[in-house]
Amino acid sequence: MNTKHILHLYARAGFGATQNDLKRCVGLNRAQIVNALFDSSKAIQPLEIDVSEFVNINYRNLDKTTVRELRKKSRDRIKIYNIKWIERLVTTPELLREKMTLFWANHFVCRNENILFVKKYNNALRSNALGNYGDFTKAISKEAAMLNYLNNSRNIKQNPNENFARELMELFMLGVGNYTEFDIKESARSFTGYNHDRNGNFKLKRLLHDEDEKVFFGKKGNFNGDDIINMILEQKQCARFVCAKVYKYFINDTINNKHLEELTNLFYKDYDIEKLMRYIFNSDWFYSEENIGAKIKSPIELLVGMNKVVPMAFKKQKDLFKIQKLLGQTLLDPPNVAGWKGGKNWVDSNTIMLRLKLPSILLGNAQISVKPKGEYEDSYEEFYAKSKRKKIINVTPNWIEFEKQFVDVSIKELEQQLIIAQISDGTKTYLDSLSKSSKREYCIQLMSLPEYQMC
Amino acid sequence: MDRRHFLKQSTLASSLFFVPSFVKALENISPKSLGYKRLVIIQLSGGNDGLNTIVPFNNDAYYRYRPKIAITKNDVIKASSDLGFHANLLPLKKLYDQGHLTVINNVGYPNPNRSHFRATDIWQTASDSNEYLQEGWIGRYLDLYGNEPYNAIETDDSLSLALKGKNINGIATKNPAILFRTSQDPYFKNVLKHYQDEHLSEHNLGYLYKTMIAAESSAKYIFEKHKAANSQETYPKDEFSNQLKTTAKLINSGIETKVFYTSLGGFDTHVGQVNRQGRLLKMYADGVEAFVNDLKTQGTFNDTLIMTFSEFGRRVNQNAANGTDHGSASNVFIIGNQLKKQGFYNELASLNDLDDNGDLKYTIDFRSIYATILSNWLEVEDKRVLNKSYNKLDFI
Repeated sequence: MNTKHILHLYARAGFGATQNDLKRCVGLNRAQIVNALFDSSKAIQPLEIDVSEFVNINYRNLDKTTVRELRKKSRDRIKIYNIKWIERLVTTPELLREKMTLFWANHFVCRNENILFVKKYNNALRSNALGNYGDFTKAISKEAAMLNYLNNSRNIKQNPNENFARELMELFMLGVGNYTEFDIKESARSFTGYNHDRNGNFKLKRLLHDEDEKVFFGKKGNFNGDDIINMILEQKQCARFVCAKVYKYFINDTINNKHLEELTNLFYKDYDIEKLMRYIFNSDWFYSEENIGAKIKSPIELLVGMNKVVPMAFKKQKDLFKIQKLLGQTLLDPPNVAGWKGGKNWVDSNTIMLRLKLPSILLGNAQISVKPKGEYEDSYEEFYAKSKRKKIINVTPNWIEFEKQFVDVSIKELEQQLIIAQISDGTKTYLDSLSKSSKREYCIQLMSLPEYQMC
Repeated sequence: MDRRHFLKQSTLASSLFFVPSFVKALENISPKSLGYKRLVIIQLSGGNDGLNTIVPFNNDAYYRYRPKIAITKNDVIKASSDLGFHANLLPLKKLYDQGHLTVINNVGYPNPNRSHFRATDIWQTASDSNEYLQEGWIGRYLDLYGNEPYNAIETDDSLSLALKGKNINGIATKNPAILFRTSQDPYFKNVLKHYQDEHLSEHNLGYLYKTMIAAESSAKYIFEKHKAANSQETYPKDEFSNQLKTTAKLINSGIETKVFYTSLGGFDTHVGQVNRQGRLLKMYADGVEAFVNDLKTQGTFNDTLIMTFSEFGRRVNQNAANGTDHGSASNVFIIGNQLKKQGFYNELASLNDLDDNGDLKYTIDFRSIYATILSNWLEVEDKRVLNKSYNKLDFI
């Protein structure tokens, strides 16, 4: 497989290929490389954090002040979990599993303030990431974080709450317009009594579950939630809906309907996520020009990708938080149940400057060198000196590691590896005019191009 | 296209853009019209306690529900026979006396949500309680009637959902000078100098370049406007007043911005409410007073409408920690010089008829306020922006 295609595969299945990845791929064909990618994602390593303080807590027996303190502690712990998640994305050997986990977190969107539930939920996403979509959905419907987030824990026979039932069809399985209000009502009835114990384990409260007959998609029976999910899976629209989301995330914002139908037909057979992803990464069309470098990186893809090239350590975790917030994507804190819109929505007049500036803020002390070849006047340095910029973010980039990784990599190869999108002739001319005496400096310059925002 | 509209379009175009855009503006006779009036939105984040802001000082139930934190009758600045202002709101009382303030009581919506995040989204997107919208109400206004990101400016580091549209977002800046300096980075300028038309295609990369150009020109425009304006007014020295001062400078510069958005946080007073809310209300009122004076001096108050809201009010019954928990309906302030109904727009809802949570029942849907402002002030079709038709009020 040629380098360009390897870079494309790793950009989508992970966060960009490292030098080790590239070395490992030398002399291998596509099938072998894709196989290796799946093999290395076989293991499921839960993302851990200490939650012992939150186990077996009965909040009802505690006074308000204690509850408030515990909640605050939990929120702080969630912030640490956020940082740990990002670290995981940078260092994981289970590349594809982690990338899929991130994808599913923006499909089964959920937000919770209890670290115990958050951790459980996050690991449910991770362990199901390459499994069976039906089992996955059923597991999610029983997760404490989701039961709380979409109020299903308040969905009881005597007073059904339709929130989860609605989003299950609208956002998780079918999409708007593929069900009726009646379907939602009957589905909600089937999910009544779903609840969890104080440690977040699923518990069906029998007395609150509606045991009467329901009518759903033309069938009659005393259905429960799993039955409803099974009946939705029978709709081909469900396979199409999920495949379209996968397509937009892993392939292209603009869907090619022929390719989508191929995926839908395959996925509909058994809803096997791993099979679906293998098919995509082995397809010729996945590697066609229109798909390479065509997507705008999400803020997390941008951050993690940069980190994989130049490892960096943040002095204050608050700063990593601030960056996520300013870029518009804070893990574990989605804007709403529909998640981040992605694509062009990542970028507007506000975020574009920050995104372009990020490499120089994090790696170059908020400076981008613009010294052209053969010019020795430090006029731009003066520009910066005058503005007396404070160093906003305290980061230590590990340049030694970078130098070690890229020691055998030429300037030309560095350019090819960092910029997957087509560089226009104009930008190329400009890049050629820059002095390339330092690999570090050129790395920052490349990362500051709009083209680096693409993957 | 009438003559006035034509002139407005063409002067706007020629002063802002290079020739090609100017030509384009003339060719492309846009139905988009922005008019002159502008709206300033102030969000009191965290859920301001409306009952201790506008106080029902003759209501026994109020004192019964709040034995420790009620504002005593002597401290209230009385305005009507039963409602008065918190002692730190003297500047607001002055506006009230001058006929520059309308207080709308019990503003809310059906099935209120008591989560900060969700309630804020609901207010900012003008959605129903169970509806999740991706665009803010000002964002949709920009999509339909705006041309440039700076048609709506938020004086903050990042942009609220309220100002995010499908095709156009407002712009966020606390400091136009920093925004400008960032956009003038020599490296970016050089990259842009080398960009070619092929970059400006409809593809994602083209979109990035286009956004870069738009951001650069917006930053420059805002900075130059801001630089040219000056302000004689003395503002209190705090972050909120700074934001209002920036807003006033921009307004007085004649910038083509229709909506300004600013916020003051910290109103989540579960514990020890009295001092904390008192401090915040003082900060709010003193800032607004300086702001209004500034606009009056520069003759821009006539064309400015200021709306203040909070994502929810607070529980009528105080809690054990001398604070209040999340509630629902609360008051909205409208400040301006062209108010039709001044003073208290409506009566406070009964404290003896609360909802199941012990919260005030809403009597006015907040979207009726939006609809009224959109149609009577910004002079656009409110139904197109709000996706639905709401009853209009008659405060403007």
